[in-house]
Amino acid sequence: MHHALSRHRNILDFALSSLLRRKAKNISLFLVYTLIIFVIASLIFFVQALKREAALLLAEAPDMVVQRMIAGRHDLIPTNYGEKISAIRGVSEVTPRLWGYYYDPVFQANYTLLAPDTAPPPPGSITIGSGVARNLRIKTDDLVTFRSYSGTPLLLTVSGIMPLHSELVSADLVLMAAEDFQAMFRMPKDVATDLAVTVANPRELVTVANKIVELFPDTRPILKSELLRTYDSLFDWRGGMMVVMLAVALFSFVIFAWDKASGLSAEERKEIGILKSIGWETGDVLLLKFWEGAVISLTAFLAGVLLAYGHVFFSSAALFSHALKGWAILYPQFRLVPTIDGYQLSVLFVLSVLPYTAATIIPAWLAATIAPDAAMRS
Amino acid sequence: MKRFSLLFSAIICLWLNVASALAAPAAPAPGPKDKCPVCGMFVHKYPAWTAAIRFSDGSHAWFDGAKDLFIYLNNLPRYAPTRKPAMISAMLVKDYYSLKLIDGKTAFYVIGSTVYGPMGHELVPLAKQTEAQEFLKDHGGKRIVRFHEITPALLKSLE
Repeated sequence: MHHALSRHRNILDFALSSLLRRKAKNISLFLVYTLIIFVIASLIFFVQALKREAALLLAEAPDMVVQRMIAGRHDLIPTNYGEKISAIRGVSEVTPRLWGYYYDPVFQANYTLLAPDTAPPPPGSITIGSGVARNLRIKTDDLVTFRSYSGTPLLLTVSGIMPLHSELVSADLVLMAAEDFQAMFRMPKDVATDLAVTVANPRELVTVANKIVELFPDTRPILKSELLRTYDSLFDWRGGMMVVMLAVALFSFVIFAWDKASGLSAEERKEIGILKSIGWETGDVLLLKFWEGAVISLTAFLAGVLLAYGHVFFSSAALFSHALKGWAILYPQFRLVPTIDGYQLSVLFVLSVLPYTAATIIPAWLAATIAPDAAMRS
Repeated sequence: MKRFSLLFSAIICLWLNVASALAAPAAPAPGPKDKCPVCGMFVHKYPAWTAAIRFSDGSHAWFDGAKDLFIYLNNLPRYAPTRKPAMISAMLVKDYYSLKLIDGKTAFYVIGSTVYGPMGHELVPLAKQTEAQEFLKDHGGKRIVRFHEITPALLKSLE
């Protein structure tokens, strides 16, 4: 056991010194390898983090949302629609919701305004998301002015800043009392943005939705499952873009590995010949090449993954967030909460480190099986 | 002395209250290992279809649908040889609309509808007659049946 270990150690030692002998070549190899892993791992981290944000967003979404339509566009819904809807068999609760968007011309950002029905802030005060706080450079107990739709400024006190559970969800959120919301947008008191409908038995959702449309032909019920599908296809579209990029990256990796595999230089072949003639077994030569490949691919893999982690979670994927995130320009800067999908990382590992190592061994094996003098002379 | 007895009785009252609160059947639910004695499926996976028979000793038999409950009830010697009909203290089924456990004896059951349970055709339990009628209309049900109308022949037709 001890003997086998020290044999490995000696060969690893030799492998490292032979890597150092061809410094320029191996460093450039390492850099290319790291770059490819960095790009792929960044994509994996980024899409994973976005999916997590979306899942958080939808976890609290109601089973069904009922919107009123006018000429095919979303309109405010009278709250008395809710009374009739809650009388439909199977509906356990109907809550009118008040929410909307506010464009802040000074800081050029869009905020999501919401009047929560459970524990709303008292009139005259707001609770804000961390992104809004960062953007407006305000903290608790500061005063904020929003320009209301009647033209008069609305003065509000910041009563708290929301914790960082999910940046994408809460970064741009401003919670306010229903009275302030109505004053801000000059909204009548008997209307809501939409109605959130809760149905006890999920099997009954479609029937309830049909009854709502029958009762109020000017409404559009949206089921959570439809929302999930929309988000899924959205991310799939982005994921689809990711697949293209991934395919390009993987393809370039294959070319690179193939190049490396087919191109065993004359010098390397000579070296294998010398090693064999001084008494190395074919197995030892293969072990040496295996260690050479493993050292490069493992360090490059680790470096690439670490760089990608820093890129996605500390710099908010600065390199490609504009391509993958929607309306990024009007959005308060946000940080993704780190999530790691072990499965995808191991797939990346298996798809990069293993083929690369194999690609280094096979030509060495071909060279090591011919006679030493022929290898040295060629 | 009088004060002591007052204190003592107060403590007894409190203790009895706590004890009765603990003994009162809290909203019962099947555990992760409870299997339907008729079909052998795990019951907790189908919370919308849970049905139960409570025995006088406080134990429950759990079913993944009212149909299996009635099959069990009609063939007690086969499924539970140690139990007697007299030992049954309550029968509970899930109301389709509210998903709450209701009394199986007073429930209205709709058969022949397009709503299937984990075991296929079901007797869909509903708390009120008006609800049963609406369900029948919405989901293409054939007939509303009451507890005493559910015979082995009817159960056979649902298989």
